[in-house]
Amino acid sequence: MEFGPIWRAMLRNKGGFLLIALQIAVTMTIMVNAIAIIQERSRNIARPSGLDEANTFTLVSVSIGEDMDNKSLIDEDLDLLRGMPGVLNATASNSMPLLQSGWSEGLTLEPGEGKSDSSSALYFADEHTADTFALNFVEGANFEPNQVEWRNHEVNDWPPFVIVSRALAEDLFPDETGSYVGKTFYIDDDNPVNIIGVVERMQAAWQGWSGLERSMLVPQRQDWNFTRYIVRTEPGYREELMPEIEDMLVKSNPDRIIQSVRSMDEVRKLAYLGDAAMIRILTFIVALLTVITGLGIVGLASFNVSRRTRQIGIRRALGATRPAIVRHFMVENLLVSVIGIGVGGILAVALNMFMVEAFALEPLAWYVIPAAMSVLLIVGQLAVAGPARKASNVTPAIATRSV
Amino acid sequence: MLRMNSVSKVYRTDTVETHALREFSLSVEEGEFVSVTGPSGSGKTTFLNIAGLLEELTDGSYELDGRDISSLNDRERSRVRNEKIGFIFQSFNLIPELDIFDNVDVPLRYRGLKSAERRRRVERCLELVGLASRMKHLPAQLSGGQQQRVAIARALAGEPRFLLADEPTGNLDTHMADSVMELLAEINAGGTTIIMVTHELTLADRAKRNIFVRDGNVSDGYGSDASPELHFASAANA
Repeated sequence: MEFGPIWRAMLRNKGGFLLIALQIAVTMTIMVNAIAIIQERSRNIARPSGLDEANTFTLVSVSIGEDMDNKSLIDEDLDLLRGMPGVLNATASNSMPLLQSGWSEGLTLEPGEGKSDSSSALYFADEHTADTFALNFVEGANFEPNQVEWRNHEVNDWPPFVIVSRALAEDLFPDETGSYVGKTFYIDDDNPVNIIGVVERMQAAWQGWSGLERSMLVPQRQDWNFTRYIVRTEPGYREELMPEIEDMLVKSNPDRIIQSVRSMDEVRKLAYLGDAAMIRILTFIVALLTVITGLGIVGLASFNVSRRTRQIGIRRALGATRPAIVRHFMVENLLVSVIGIGVGGILAVALNMFMVEAFALEPLAWYVIPAAMSVLLIVGQLAVAGPARKASNVTPAIATRSV
Repeated sequence: MLRMNSVSKVYRTDTVETHALREFSLSVEEGEFVSVTGPSGSGKTTFLNIAGLLEELTDGSYELDGRDISSLNDRERSRVRNEKIGFIFQSFNLIPELDIFDNVDVPLRYRGLKSAERRRRVERCLELVGLASRMKHLPAQLSGGQQQRVAIARALAGEPRFLLADEPTGNLDTHMADSVMELLAEINAGGTTIIMVTHELTLADRAKRNIFVRDGNVSDGYGSDASPELHFASAANA
């Protein structure tokens, strides 16, 4: 291979080559960091909520009648829901994972105002909630029916038992190596609560919250006119049951409105709408930049072929085969690309370090830079292939033509 | 060494058909120094292009070193050009971005010779043309005569069986032209066959044999009805 002469010739005519190398470097820098962001967002979207998402949906009942007995209505609704063929279980709660609205509390290990050892999302629950959410207990047990009490707007008492996610338990008791069951912490400054169960995973309602994995079930039912039901169906029945259940509840009591009937898929989609849009935009930008870089390489290579038509003819006259001419331009492009992706690699790492520091982004995965380098090298070689092939068709007879 | 028999070359466009060579026949033996003259448009350059395998012939046959050239594919033609033929062009045709060493090295790289062998040949040939001290210079830093000497060194580096020279002194002053012609004579004396296209009769006269081309056909001084002198006179008056 004639790397040496091609390199030396490029150094003597470096303007165009430097511009393309710079373009490749910028593309590399943006591509790598865009991929890092895309990966992080994709990982976020893929995080399991802890629920049986494929078979879960939610709806809201808002009582509008005067002097409605909310407790009775909720009990009747839940009886109807749990008795519906195809329904595995149902519960009433204030919120659910990824819903984007909910309740959170600061938690402390010692009673007293102004302290905060952790924080958690909070779901009011009964003995059916854990099963409806399809939670996986790693230790301890579910609530007993007699542990569940009603809560209304006038009451701000906290029950003495909770079920927590493992992430919350680990955050509260980082040095604990044994069981978390029986451990005590405080809600709302000075209300002691005991952990009676730990579940493997149960996400909070807010996908963008840093404590997404920290949540707990509180054995209380809300005596409010706004009730969210969460229903878990047998596999394959959800889509069919959603409208049926909506109709059934409307008919069972006309003094309320049924709204926001959403499958867990829709809940997740709404929660990650911004992330999904960001992924699409960044993917488009990366693709656009790659295409523009490819076109830039095509442009430079075409210009070089036109400018050096005579030189190509001379090389052909001196014995260069057509593949040798193609190889010449490929090698030339390879050298430019290597410089571009080398500089781009350094800039990409520097920008990523800045973004990790400034925006708490996760560091680059080790394989992103070599993958981006490979893509840009391949794009470069594909882009130059057309002009190089055109160059190889230059007739050697051009060498004897007058200048 | 070189045998062309009834070679024709026709250039065709949508509307025009140009016969550059018609029934062109010529034999050149090993070790000859043949000059080719003729008026503009007579077919000299076309002959040179076909002899140097830079273009394909339309009809007829061409044997080089006992091998039928018309049957070769592009890769084989490139190989023959690289191994058997050395080119010297009127405008030198050095590659401006490469230094003198790399310019002379170009055909040797295409032949795939090892680095040490290439270096030996390049240095020897540049020494032969008196430019060993200018290896790292660019073509633009040399005079026209020196550039043509580099081109000759490049042609010789491949140790070709024959040299094709296209107006090798066309861009040089008289002094430099003499020097280049002396160099060509020396090379020919070493056994290399040379075919030189020129429009200068004084230079043509320094060859061992003179060919006159007119209207795409050849009048060989050793076989035609008319004498070479008449042809030269005719060309001079054209």
